[in-house]
Amino acid sequence: MLHNIKGNYITSVKDHVRQYNEKSFRKLASNNFKSWPNPREETWRLSRLGVLSRKEITPIIPDYKKNFSSFSKFNGSKIIRFVDGALREDLSSNLPPGLSLNILGEEDSLRCFHKFKDSNLKDHPSTNVSFSCTPSIVKLTIEKDVKIRDFFEIIYEGGDDNLSVHPALHIELKDNSSITIIERFNHLSSLIMPLQLVELKKNASMNSLKIFNDSQQSYNLSANCTFLSEKSNYNSFSLIKGGLFTRSETHAYLKGKNCNLNLNGVYLSSKNQHHDLTTAIYHDVPKCTSKQIVRGVLGGESTGVFQGKVRVAPDAQKTDGQQMSRAILLSENATANAKPELEIYADDVICAHGATVGEIDDEQLFYIKSRGVSEKKAKLILITAFLKDIINDTVEESIQNFVFEEAEQALSEIISKEI
Amino acid sequence: MSLLEIKNAKLNLDDKNILKDLSFSVNRGEVHAIMGPNGSGKSTLSYMLAGRDGYELESGDIYLDGQSLSEMEADERARSGLFLAFQYPVELPGVGGMSFLREAVNSRRKFLGEDELDHLAFVKEARKVASKMSVKDDMLKRAVNVGFSGGEKKRFEILQMAMLKPKVSILDETDSGLDVDALKIVSDGVNAQRNDDNAIVVITHYQRLLDYIVPDFVHILSDGRIIKSGGPELALEVEKNGYAGLINAA
Ligand SMILES: Nc1ncnc2c1ncn2[C@@H]1O[C@H](COP(=O)(O)OP(=O)(O)OP(=O)(O)O)[C@@H](O)[C@H]1O
Ligand SMILES: [Mg+2]
Repeated sequence: MLHNIKGNYITSVKDHVRQYNEKSFRKLASNNFKSWPNPREETWRLSRLGVLSRKEITPIIPDYKKNFSSFSKFNGSKIIRFVDGALREDLSSNLPPGLSLNILGEEDSLRCFHKFKDSNLKDHPSTNVSFSCTPSIVKLTIEKDVKIRDFFEIIYEGGDDNLSVHPALHIELKDNSSITIIERFNHLSSLIMPLQLVELKKNASMNSLKIFNDSQQSYNLSANCTFLSEKSNYNSFSLIKGGLFTRSETHAYLKGKNCNLNLNGVYLSSKNQHHDLTTAIYHDVPKCTSKQIVRGVLGGESTGVFQGKVRVAPDAQKTDGQQMSRAILLSENATANAKPELEIYADDVICAHGATVGEIDDEQLFYIKSRGVSEKKAKLILITAFLKDIINDTVEESIQNFVFEEAEQALSEIISKEI
Repeated sequence: MSLLEIKNAKLNLDDKNILKDLSFSVNRGEVHAIMGPNGSGKSTLSYMLAGRDGYELESGDIYLDGQSLSEMEADERARSGLFLAFQYPVELPGVGGMSFLREAVNSRRKFLGEDELDHLAFVKEARKVASKMSVKDDMLKRAVNVGFSGGEKKRFEILQMAMLKPKVSILDETDSGLDVDALKIVSDGVNAQRNDDNAIVVITHYQRLLDYIVPDFVHILSDGRIIKSGGPELALEVEKNGYAGLINAA
């Protein structure tokens, strides 16, 4: 059925995939997604995809007539809309000068494909499947010296039961450019396999906010590959709240000196949700900093996973890498896993990591209750503070309130079920 | 009827009997002082009254204005008019002082059937009380107790008391950590709230506080029991001779 998908370059990428790694492609894509990463594979041990293999899922054929009118949540922001994984220029805003949106041709698509295949995302299921199933790879380019002040919202929606969607986006920030992008995943699909390649050129700066809020039955396996050049700055925050199973996996390659990376996130999980933030940071050159702060709040029978790998190459002296994860469990049946992994081959580096999983602090709870505040409200106050803390510390100031409101909704849902 | 009544209270912590058949009652308008050696059970008593989890009575009962507290959660007791100023106030990172106070005050008001205060009215009221307690506005903007000095924490406790207007306040070593000037300010703050309808129980090691907040009764707590009760002169005796004589005589 993959043959149904249109677009010449896709056929050729697909041909190429076959040659490149026929085995894994056949295993995953041409077999109706019947075969998924084995739970014995280290990076999928805590996030198993077994259930998916029992489902019949077919890649969607985008319906370019589907209409969506979900509004921008952010007053005045520009919108780029993907429906069924395909770019819908007719439903998107006009772009300001210095910014362009293109559908990549065969050669550039192949280049994207190779970027993924040469990275450690090479065996990620979305890498294996989406390059052949995406309707097109879309590229957003921010020209040299252009600093975009408007907010950009990219909304991904559409999809349907037993269908998979495959949006693929390549973002390139040329020298000295900057932008803030808010991405919202609001699919109704069984399976979502987004690909994103971000290239930050010299001195470029990007704030990225991703809000994962797909439907209750969705699996979202987002794969992101980011390259940072000299003095560039990538500040990303993922808020995971929706879906049945959401895994946001980001691999960042620090390739130029003095660049700065933040990969932060929060997951808010209830019922039988499974949320996973997986990151890999590759310090290949000296004098770069990376920081990761992850927090989770879990209720019901949900599971949260944070896997953070930091690799410091022998040449990457004066690296500063920090990693900290904390999770609060509101129910006995919820589980949080944290797996930090440091591989340090240089000697002059500062790398710190820590992980805690716990319940709400008894003493704090009693103190608040002793002032007449109900237990439920007291818990909400404490968890809100727990989240506000990370949002205020890590999210760009102008979007802090927005992120907080998005989190608050999911939070009160979790709490109302637990008490 | 007494405003606060403790009847034969017995309490265990980790199978260890801490409060042993403790009884006393406090009438409207009264101030009672509780003194006693370290580890005698004073804070345990205050946690028990405030309803901390794990501090439930083994036997006996406690009444606030005639109503049994035993089956009430801490928040319900507080809304009913019980207040505990903590010996060690708890830090709440990320929880702003002003919104915390407002939440507390409105919970109590709602319980009393009064309208909740809107933001502006509340801020005005809080600032007024704060300035009386020499608490800087800046402290209300910060996270509750985070980075406060020992004395600032104690002042913030009494500020909360002033805002909540409780029927019965238990002040657990509110004087510890206060400098001479702060002791006066805090005591004045407490005295300003005394009236014929409320009552205060002060737990302290020092006569000094009782010079400012003059008690009607003094109880000596030792090993989970009140071994002697008397007037303000009892505190002077403790100050002079220590507890040994009193404990031996008991
Ligand atoms: N969880 C516990 N399990 C067992 N014993 C406990 C527990 N908590 C407190 N205790 C003991 O209970 C006794 C009373 O402690 P409490 O804190 O009430 O004393 P206190 O009179 O307030 O002392 P201080 O004057 O030092 O504040 C002490 O011996 C203490 O060690
Ligand atoms: Mg004590």
